[in-house]
Amino acid sequence: MSQTATPAAAVPSPPSRRGGRRRWNPTVGNVPAFLMVLPLLALVVGLVLYPLVKLTIDSLTQDAGLGNYADVFASDATRKAMVTTLLASVVVTVITVTVGATLAWYLVTARSTLVKAVLWLAVLAPFWMGTVVKNYAIILLIANDGVLNDVLSALGLGRAQLLYTTGAVIMGIVYSMVPYAVFSLYGVFVGIDQSLLAAARSMGATRARALRTVLLPLAMPGIVASAALVFAISIGFYVTPVLLGGGQAPFMASVISSNIFGYYDYGFASAASVLLLLVAVVVLAAALLAVGRERLMRAVA
Amino acid sequence: MPDTPTTTRTPAERRRHLSDLATRAVGGVVVTAAAVFLLAPALLTIVLSFSGDDRFNWPPESWGLRQYETLLESTDWLDAIWLSIRIALPVALLSALIAVPAVIAISRSRLPGRALLQAAGVVALIIPVSAFAVAVYGVFVQLKLIGTYVGLVLANTVLAFPLALVVTAAAMSRVPVELELAAMTAGAGRARAWAGITLRLLAPAILAGCVLSFITSFDEAVLINFLGGSGQVTLPKAIFDSVRFGVDPVITAIATLLMVATSLLMLIALRLRRSGR
Repeated sequence: MSQTATPAAAVPSPPSRRGGRRRWNPTVGNVPAFLMVLPLLALVVGLVLYPLVKLTIDSLTQDAGLGNYADVFASDATRKAMVTTLLASVVVTVITVTVGATLAWYLVTARSTLVKAVLWLAVLAPFWMGTVVKNYAIILLIANDGVLNDVLSALGLGRAQLLYTTGAVIMGIVYSMVPYAVFSLYGVFVGIDQSLLAAARSMGATRARALRTVLLPLAMPGIVASAALVFAISIGFYVTPVLLGGGQAPFMASVISSNIFGYYDYGFASAASVLLLLVAVVVLAAALLAVGRERLMRAVA
Repeated sequence: MPDTPTTTRTPAERRRHLSDLATRAVGGVVVTAAAVFLLAPALLTIVLSFSGDDRFNWPPESWGLRQYETLLESTDWLDAIWLSIRIALPVALLSALIAVPAVIAISRSRLPGRALLQAAGVVALIIPVSAFAVAVYGVFVQLKLIGTYVGLVLANTVLAFPLALVVTAAAMSRVPVELELAAMTAGAGRARAWAGITLRLLAPAILAGCVLSFITSFDEAVLINFLGGSGQVTLPKAIFDSVRFGVDPVITAIATLLMVATSLLMLIALRLRRSGR
């Protein structure tokens, strides 16, 4: 890569200095630097940190106070939704990371440009459609009178209820999350020296063994980081459970929203949200301890 | 890895060859299935957008541009699109205004906690969004921002500016500090060195960050359900509400146009990031 090809043109014209005293120091002092990060700081403190702190305090003081948590745990529907959300997110994470890793590996190693182009197109398709539209598209695919059921009945397998099931929600979340997993794992695989695999194979390892004993250990930290992020994001999905799960497969997000807007029970909703956040924080913190901040950050971007 | 089998093979070699074939077959099946799974909904939507039926039918009974005509005649959909644009434009601008100075300061200063600050910037992206939505809802109720335009711009900026932050930070790591130093030894002040060197080299990434922030805001579909009140109906909210009660075929036309627009914008963003290298 020619990293710094252009700068010469950008250097400003001759020195026209007033005073002679000059500290040629490109490092910014702490005061101007603080002023420059102030907007970011204000936004993060005002609209991320403060809301989260307020949410936690509200969950302990509003409506039933500590009783909010007792209510959450006492409610069968909420307990069930919590279990559904967590189990479904585990399944989503396993599928997403497996599929994402396979796709990423082919994107790194495939020799055919056509294969690469088609795979990139496939990975970008969910992004291009946008959050709500991709769920709509999946409905067109799996509705009772949709395409998939047509194929099934043409094969003599009969029609199946696919929409409004937990399986549909899992499919929808996987569809949304696979691109994220591919992006972060692509970065991981690109950084792995391919000749190590060739070496393993030249010494008699099968392809499977080379992947398992050479690639997998090297990629593991990246895979863990990616899995933790996929899980933490998955448990918060709102659009997919509502549209693809309907009333039949309630997830935490629907429970939370119906408690705010249906039952006007903000205390309950905030307690349920705090529990959801706690799960995410625990999982992300575990990943942070396991693989370090840098790898986790790289998985985000 | 060419493993063209030659004439004589020991049984061990044959086993190895078979094992490799099996591995490749499994990989091929997974990748093909994944590609079909990812592409099928998009292709189906595009095909159905040229259906001439007034309701969802598979396969369509007639073909035509009916969905696109209905869309262009519907003020409800066009109003929703317009509101989404009116929110996304200031969000894109704000995202750049927040991200760019922060990135320069973080990479060119010894401010304590600067790495933590950069990490804090992307936190909103990795926490469960529905829980975050409740948290922002609580604050917006307090500040009477529910259902307001300003509230939506602020909320979307929280989710959108991390993209500008990440893209700009990646570009900033490739701007050599020596160039700024060179400009300064040539007599430029720090501000002039930044304007003439740093910002010029960052410009493609800044624009790419704006585009990505715009897309993120335009696409935002969760916060709007908690913060939008009843009056603010953005495009994702309008589609969401419609899909809850059935499949309106007009959405296939909206989806197709969105796909074209988003893919073009993303290609522009990608081009900009490349050109910045």
